[in-house]
Amino acid sequence: MSDQTDVLQGTLDLLILRTIALEPMHGWAIAQRIQQISNDLLRVQQGSLYPALHRLEHQGWITAEWGASENNRRARFYALTKAGRKQVDTELAKWERLSAGVNLVLQRT
Amino acid sequence: MFRDRRESDLSEELQFHLEREIERLQASGLPRNEARLQALRLFGGVEQIKEEARDARGTSTWDTLVRDTRQGLRRLVHDWRFTTAAVLILGLAIGANTAIFSLVNAVLFRDQAIADPDRLVNIYQNDPSGRPLIVTSYATYMEIADYTDIFEETMAATIPLPVRYLHNNAVREAVIEAATANYLEVLGLRPSLGRWFDATEERPGAPIVAVLGHQTWTSVFRSHPGVIGQVVRIEGVPVTIIGIGPANHRGTVDVGLGTDAWVPITALPLMAQFASMRNAPTIIAPLFVKARLRDGVTVAQARTAMDILGRRLVAENPEQFKRSGEFALGPGITVLPSTDVRIHPQADVPFMALASLLLTIVGLVLAIACSNLATLLLVRGAARAKEVSVRLAMGATRRQLVRHLLTESVLLALAGGIAGCVLAWWGMRALQAIDLPLRVDLAVDYRVLAFAIGLSLVTGLAFGLAPALKATRVDLLQTLRDEGLQPLDHRRLTLKNALIVMQVAISVLLLGGTSIFLQQVAATRALRVGYAVDGVAMLETDLRFAGYSEDQARNVYDDLLRRIGSLPGVEAAALLRGLPMARNSVPIVVDDAADQKVSEAAMIDAGPGFFDTLRIELLHGRVFDARDRADSPRVAVISDAMAQKHFGVVNAVGRRFRLANDPSSWTEVIGVVRDTGTGDLDDEVVVTSAPPYYRSYTQAGALPTTVIARTSRDAASLVAAMQRELRAIDVALPVMTAQTMAQAREEAQAPPAAAATLLGILGGLGLVLASIGLYAVVAFAVARRSREIGIRMALGARSQQVVSSIARGVAGLVGVGTGVGLFLTVLLMLTLRASSGESNIGIGNITVYRPNIDPLELLAIAAVTAVVGVAAAFVPARRATRVHPLEALRHE
Repeated sequence: MSDQTDVLQGTLDLLILRTIALEPMHGWAIAQRIQQISNDLLRVQQGSLYPALHRLEHQGWITAEWGASENNRRARFYALTKAGRKQVDTELAKWERLSAGVNLVLQRT
Repeated sequence: MFRDRRESDLSEELQFHLEREIERLQASGLPRNEARLQALRLFGGVEQIKEEARDARGTSTWDTLVRDTRQGLRRLVHDWRFTTAAVLILGLAIGANTAIFSLVNAVLFRDQAIADPDRLVNIYQNDPSGRPLIVTSYATYMEIADYTDIFEETMAATIPLPVRYLHNNAVREAVIEAATANYLEVLGLRPSLGRWFDATEERPGAPIVAVLGHQTWTSVFRSHPGVIGQVVRIEGVPVTIIGIGPANHRGTVDVGLGTDAWVPITALPLMAQFASMRNAPTIIAPLFVKARLRDGVTVAQARTAMDILGRRLVAENPEQFKRSGEFALGPGITVLPSTDVRIHPQADVPFMALASLLLTIVGLVLAIACSNLATLLLVRGAARAKEVSVRLAMGATRRQLVRHLLTESVLLALAGGIAGCVLAWWGMRALQAIDLPLRVDLAVDYRVLAFAIGLSLVTGLAFGLAPALKATRVDLLQTLRDEGLQPLDHRRLTLKNALIVMQVAISVLLLGGTSIFLQQVAATRALRVGYAVDGVAMLETDLRFAGYSEDQARNVYDDLLRRIGSLPGVEAAALLRGLPMARNSVPIVVDDAADQKVSEAAMIDAGPGFFDTLRIELLHGRVFDARDRADSPRVAVISDAMAQKHFGVVNAVGRRFRLANDPSSWTEVIGVVRDTGTGDLDDEVVVTSAPPYYRSYTQAGALPTTVIARTSRDAASLVAAMQRELRAIDVALPVMTAQTMAQAREEAQAPPAAAATLLGILGGLGLVLASIGLYAVVAFAVARRSREIGIRMALGARSQQVVSSIARGVAGLVGVGTGVGLFLTVLLMLTLRASSGESNIGIGNITVYRPNIDPLELLAIAAVTAVVGVAAAFVPARRATRVHPLEALRHE
């Protein structure tokens, strides 16, 4: 557990958008997927996940719809909107600039 | 609601997440219970997540508003005393404002139904200084209408004329317009029932028909369709109703008094009450001319065409442009788009000024109420300082607190607005129950409602903000540590004090305004009228309403005069036309005058016995008698003032003058009588413009209408006796006017008296509001100082000393406020005195009363204010001294 990292505020948006770019997903699945793909390195706290989802929905980048989950229960599925797809690119570019910058700083010092 | 659904969605979503988490942990081998506990631990606070999710949405603005409103309402209900006071204060002020605004709205802002108003123009004859005049002659209208290449159609309508008609055996007052047959066509409207009169009915001599106004039809005739085809006697003339005007069209001059009926313009000489109109060779009346522009013609092109016409008219009828005085014509014709004119280009500005003056005055009352609310909120804010600091300490932001306080004040203001609308509605209903000469349609429309709500919101925000900011600017430690002993606020210039001073000052100013109008009423009453008032009674009837022929009518009047003359106690009686001392302004030309200049005089229709009945002393020559018949040369009795002004001599007997518009009307002066005050007032009140002269109705070829009589006994019982005599002759004869001369004179003072009443009410209201404010401030100060007072009392201070220490502060505030108010009042009086006293607006003269600055009056106002102010402060101050010292010390 101790080698898991809480997802930084700000990068979470990118991770969520990127995750549901493939297919609509509900909140729990999004958290699981991020954890899986990052080989359990990243952990998404529910406390940040749901506020983030609602914020993204409010900004119009994702939409939510009720549907049946994999075990046939009612779950809220989130999907990217058109604006959301554009936003993925913007966020990606932003992230790349940030990480490049951080890397440069770390290498020099 | 929407919000509730979102809330349950969120719960369900989180619940789902939790269960999936439990399942996952179970799948990894944990027992159900263990899994559940761990999932919950990982999950953290559900409520917190919910809160954050809600905030993330940003939709919370609405939710916050709802929450704040609920809280605010709860707090206001809790403090119901404060709430009631505040709502009452605001309700009164907003109510007064809404009532006055709906009056202004009805007169000035309500839209008229007119099709395609952009293509409509108003056309006016100019006066000598080039401004649009109200008089356009019928002849000029015909010339304008000939410009068919410019105007598709041109119509003319008179200004609304007051007439009387018989309905259900009672004489009613109405206003009619005489209009051309194409009136409705030019406006692009259609009658709502029946039809409009056509060109054949417009020919002179055709049987007279009328179209009823829609408003009159619904209110007087109860929307009965059978009214079409009925005959109504207007001014005694039988008129057949042929149609009902369009709904939403109230008349050419839309100042709130809807036109009751339209008649063809050729019927005007029969309907007009003014003799000068009846006897004119052609139709001379104040006409409004409106035209619809032909397609593609611009207003500028119309102006050019009318310029040419204007020049031609001067060239063709030069003598018409030589008149001077009120209706003097000037070269040139004005064309204005109808949408730019409300009533008349020259009347619009004074009308707007009057409206803004009214709104300013009630606005002052609102200002008092608002500053009052602010005072109350300040007091409340200070009383809640502890609550505020506790909340701040608990982590509430100042922004949140200000928001809460503002929500409260806006809620208060809205409640006040609703109370105000109810009060205004109730007040206006009370007003409409009174039979006013001018029927204003006071319906509450969207403008009035928007005005009231807007006013409430602005009031709540503007006057809630400063107290809210002040209330939340607290020194946390100081307030929380405080045990009731606070450093006393010794600063003189606090917001609270300034507000109180302002309230008192405005109240004094309003009372000062009241005193100006009261002065005017008193000045009128005190005026030496120069004719008999005591014991004089009058009775006006119109035999045409009963269908008498002219010869029959003459006999009936003579009979009536004989009967009334022989009533016990009657010393003198006379017949005359119109009401005694009511005068018509006429242009005259004096013989022998070098320049044949036209000047103004006032004509009064009298008859034999008139001067004796009214005790108007004859100075030279003789008065009217049997010698003056319709076929004898025209004669006149003139007033002393006219003899000196127009003839330059004291004894003008034998001299001649004529009406300016009738070269054959030479009239010889047979007598000179002493001046009277007539219907107008003396120099100090109104400038005497035209001196009056008298002519005999027998020579005017018209029937008398009125009997006046003077009795040595009670005039009121003479009025009753006269009516009995009238009924004895023929029960069908209508009574138009039956009153004593004293009542008639009282009626003339109605406008200033009404203004005095209105201002007095507003001033009183202001004073009441200001004293509530004073009460609140003192009560608060006493509450805050109760500990100090308790200590002082315990140490042996007498209650007198305590009260006087409080009174000193209050007296200072009231004194400064009164001083400022008196200063403003004197300033207002000086401005009025400096004004020229008369301003010509082209239609009539508005005279301004020039008030005297009466120190006693000002002193009285100051005294009233001081007494009310001190009384307001005394009640809470007195309560302070009744507090038991022990209790005061224990006081939190």
